[in-house]
Amino acid sequence: MTQAPTRPTDSQDDAAPERTGLVGRSVPRREDLALLTGTARFIDDLKLPGMVYAKILRSKVAHARLRAVDLTRARAMPGVLDALCGADLAGKVKPWGDLMQDLLVGDHTPFATDKVLYEGQEIAAVVAATKYQALDALEAIDVDLDLLPALVDPEDALAPDAPLIQEGISYEFGNGNVFDRYRVRVGDAERAAAEAAVVVRQRFATNRQAGAALDPHGCIASYDSFTHELTVYSSTQSIYMVRDVLADVLQIPRNKVRVIVPEVGAGFGSKAQIFPYEVIASIFSMRIGRPVHLVLGRKEIFQSGTARNGQVRYAELMCKRDGTITGYRDYVVHNCGAMSVWGNQVIHIGTNVGMLPYAVPNVHVDSDIVHTNTAPGGALRGFGIPQMIWAKEQLVDMAAAELGIDPLEMRARNVIRPESFPYRTPMGQVIDSTSVYDCLHKSAEAIGWAGAKAEPKPYEGVGLAVSMKYTSCRHPSFDTDLSAVRLRLETDGTVTIYSSDVSHGQSHATMLAQIVSDGLGVGFEKITLARPDSLTSPFGLGTYASRGAAVLGTACRLATERLRAKVLTMAAHVLEAAPDDLEIGNDRVYVKGLPDSGLYLEILAGMAAYRTHQLPDGFEPTLEAVATYDTPTEREHADGSGNLSVTYSTAAHAARVRVDPDTGLVRVVDYAMAHDTGVVINPLVVEGQHQGGFLMGLGMVLGEDYVYDKDGHLLNASFKDYLAPTATDMPELTKLYEIPAPSVTIPGGQKGAGESGTGPVPAAVGNAVFDATGVRFTALPITPQKMLLALREKERRGVKTFRYPDDMPDFRGPRRPDDWPTPRAADEAEFDWDFDDEFGDEDGAE
Amino acid sequence: MKPFTFLTPTDAHEAVALMAEHGTSARLIAGGQSLLLAMKERTATPSVLVSLSSVTGLSGITTGSSGELSVGTTTTYAVLADAALPGWHAEISRMAGDLADRPVRTMGTIGGAICAADPRFDMPVLVMGTGARLEVLGAAGARTIDPSDFFLAGGGTCLSPDEVLTAIHFPEREHYRAVAFEKFRQRQFDAATASVLCALTQGSDGRIGAARIAVGAVAPSPRLCSATTEAMVSGADPFALDLEEVGVAVAAEVLPETDTGTARYHCELVKALTRRALARALSTLGS
Repeated sequence: MTQAPTRPTDSQDDAAPERTGLVGRSVPRREDLALLTGTARFIDDLKLPGMVYAKILRSKVAHARLRAVDLTRARAMPGVLDALCGADLAGKVKPWGDLMQDLLVGDHTPFATDKVLYEGQEIAAVVAATKYQALDALEAIDVDLDLLPALVDPEDALAPDAPLIQEGISYEFGNGNVFDRYRVRVGDAERAAAEAAVVVRQRFATNRQAGAALDPHGCIASYDSFTHELTVYSSTQSIYMVRDVLADVLQIPRNKVRVIVPEVGAGFGSKAQIFPYEVIASIFSMRIGRPVHLVLGRKEIFQSGTARNGQVRYAELMCKRDGTITGYRDYVVHNCGAMSVWGNQVIHIGTNVGMLPYAVPNVHVDSDIVHTNTAPGGALRGFGIPQMIWAKEQLVDMAAAELGIDPLEMRARNVIRPESFPYRTPMGQVIDSTSVYDCLHKSAEAIGWAGAKAEPKPYEGVGLAVSMKYTSCRHPSFDTDLSAVRLRLETDGTVTIYSSDVSHGQSHATMLAQIVSDGLGVGFEKITLARPDSLTSPFGLGTYASRGAAVLGTACRLATERLRAKVLTMAAHVLEAAPDDLEIGNDRVYVKGLPDSGLYLEILAGMAAYRTHQLPDGFEPTLEAVATYDTPTEREHADGSGNLSVTYSTAAHAARVRVDPDTGLVRVVDYAMAHDTGVVINPLVVEGQHQGGFLMGLGMVLGEDYVYDKDGHLLNASFKDYLAPTATDMPELTKLYEIPAPSVTIPGGQKGAGESGTGPVPAAVGNAVFDATGVRFTALPITPQKMLLALREKERRGVKTFRYPDDMPDFRGPRRPDDWPTPRAADEAEFDWDFDDEFGDEDGAE
Repeated sequence: MKPFTFLTPTDAHEAVALMAEHGTSARLIAGGQSLLLAMKERTATPSVLVSLSSVTGLSGITTGSSGELSVGTTTTYAVLADAALPGWHAEISRMAGDLADRPVRTMGTIGGAICAADPRFDMPVLVMGTGARLEVLGAAGARTIDPSDFFLAGGGTCLSPDEVLTAIHFPEREHYRAVAFEKFRQRQFDAATASVLCALTQGSDGRIGAARIAVGAVAPSPRLCSATTEAMVSGADPFALDLEEVGVAVAAEVLPETDTGTARYHCELVKALTRRALARALSTLGS
């Protein structure tokens, strides 16, 4: 297995093994030129002949009964071609949410029909000749609403007298706002607590963070009235998710829906699902027979795109005197907003994988997954892990303080460091390799941990956090994790790669070409990645869950191997040599030891396509190969354990912060990241992912949040008011280290890179802020205002340390410990899967 | 944004006439850095835009015979930042070069910011704190307005729709011995969360002759702290001033008596920024 090179900033002493291929090298990104010169074409750059423009009227209130929508005036406005509202579509399109995601109910519709559940929800839409006419027409839509009290705080959703949000849906746990529950029962946490030397407890709250992809959500739908083909250009992370759900919603054949992506300017998880606008644009196009452009404005994206799930955690960590972590107990209120396709999965993955990198033997977690009248919650870089790590890694520091152990030493004693791999943790994760122990020490050393601890400076502090990230998308409700690649050796010796997984920052065109170049001996510049297109690309799930390099990369490797075998079989026939005597490289096949001779691949490909009489007997013409790779992961077990990921990447982060005692501004002045990303295909790309992941974590801890008033109005739905960090907030990141422990399960050794940079950031900064100020923040984000008010409150009380804003050292465990209703659906034994018998009985055939 | 008519007068009187003609459906546009954002969001929907960019004589920096510094209303931040002005006027350049981001500084104008009257912007605090006079041309003729009258306490300006701010006249270089502006914003490109400008003159005895302190962003308009400065200068030795005490007095003078988290934070910021601005101004005084 190839050892990936360490970064140049790391030690240069141990010479890397001699490399011949491109995998492992920082090949410059092919994507950059178009992006840097502004020639990349994003969704809003596309113009189709005859294209018209749709706009959506969104609710200005968070919770209301929708009495009537009158489109009469809007239809009469200049340029208006069509208008639609919920009543027009009720019963004509299928609600979604329960197809791919296997959610409890399909509760998503293109428009609100009888109730508005959150500010920004779709009420009506118009399509007009110009954008301005469409926007003017929206102002002429009359909406009759009866306001209902809004529910913003997720904990308020649990009150028996709370306003009911989703009406008419019988959830597993009744008709309230709790639409799902989640629990983990591993070991005996109660006993662990009784036997522990120290139990630390704290209530932690996390924020709502936006995806904030600069390229807006949007699509262009174009329906051909004669062929009945619906073509949808969409800025999405998954073309088949859009295609299959859209076809299901519209009840048309899937091969009549063609989804294509333009350049996609990031998604971060916020584009990993279908949205109402894709359905609305499609229906408009089918009704008027013209291409319909529907690209959302930033305010709309803030209000109705998905945001990171907010959580309230009542968390406890149990430790032995020597610092060994023996148990974790938590009660979580998990906020999914008014509706959510992925949101309830976030708590599963975030909690299961979030227990890492510790092998905690006793885990007891209960969670209420609730609706509120706020923006839909969903997938966002880290998928629940940053929230979990924010709580857990601060508890680790709190326990270390009580035990008088250095936080670095505390972690070093607990991170998994088995004598042999694969190693199964009590939570069920199968760790196939990890360098977490080395990563931890590397990051601490790089930040100057020992020095900072020995000579503390006022208002300056250091903090550590470690996390692991899964490399898979197999969820409790999503039983698949596959990607596919088709390769064609063209008749001029070039190679075309077909894949449906959308590259939106992951550099597929570069990364996959590196793999193919190494495997087929084709020049890198001769390899092209075709744009994802559901009419021509092999079926794959899309790009999210840090799967690109590991899962798609493996599919590409397998397809390359198949194509290589085909090429060698054919070359052996032509050269009258044994395939084993042949080598492939320099764009040709040659007899081993004679690299300057041999047959050019273009000659072989030309023969395979145009001179089929010269092919070996039984050889299937053309040089094409396809491979699909699905990861060997497990389903979630009834107790919440399970190996949900094929492999786990590691991030150990160390932060140094400086706090301005006058203004409360927290600056991250230095930051060290040590990662185990397994075999890195392209270090440049992976470093970019880590930097971006860090910046997203920085925004989560220091500024970003959806600020709602009590009526559910989102007060900061613009980049002016929503405090996403920009380039000037980024510290100079010079301390990035890769300590590769190649995955054993993934054939090429890769691990996911895209999200591991985010997980530890909030906790590392939180721990550093405590070190700098003595204030333990329990709620995100740590804004300058909260920091300064906390400092003043601490002075007023005359204490050395305290917790803010939830100073509740007397809190004792989950508020509702063991009286938990049994989630019935989690127990498979209760189901009768033997459908055949039933049908047999009905038919009376037996 | 809605469709609009874009008019480009070349003379200030012509601009005034156009504004009088089109009334409330028209808006003046200079750099467009506030108005265009509002138009994109449809919170401003003018059907006519009267552009000042082609009007001659509204842009540039000149020093009058009396030594006062006159800045044309359409002078951009970028031009101000690059102006290399001497004496306390250098603080104007420093401020213009340290707000928003480069594209905004290239397009945005001092007059636009003053007329937008967003209390979080720096230019309203600058003119309030330095006592600059604002020259306005309207259908009824020209007038010069004191910033205390220009900015309405509840927000906005006293300008009528047909009036155009044409120039800002800052006191001459000798007028102040030191001017210092301090602000806080969470991100580099944000408008201020709070800002304080402090302008000092020096008496012949080395003591503070006169002082002005203006606070921005914490009220609907920039606020002048006259009571505090009057108490401060009555014969005080500037270098024996308790800056903390002045900060407390400034905060008490400008902030409402509410106890929300934001109010308490504003209070802390005003105290700290007053201290910083005053300390910097005093160090100039002492040098």
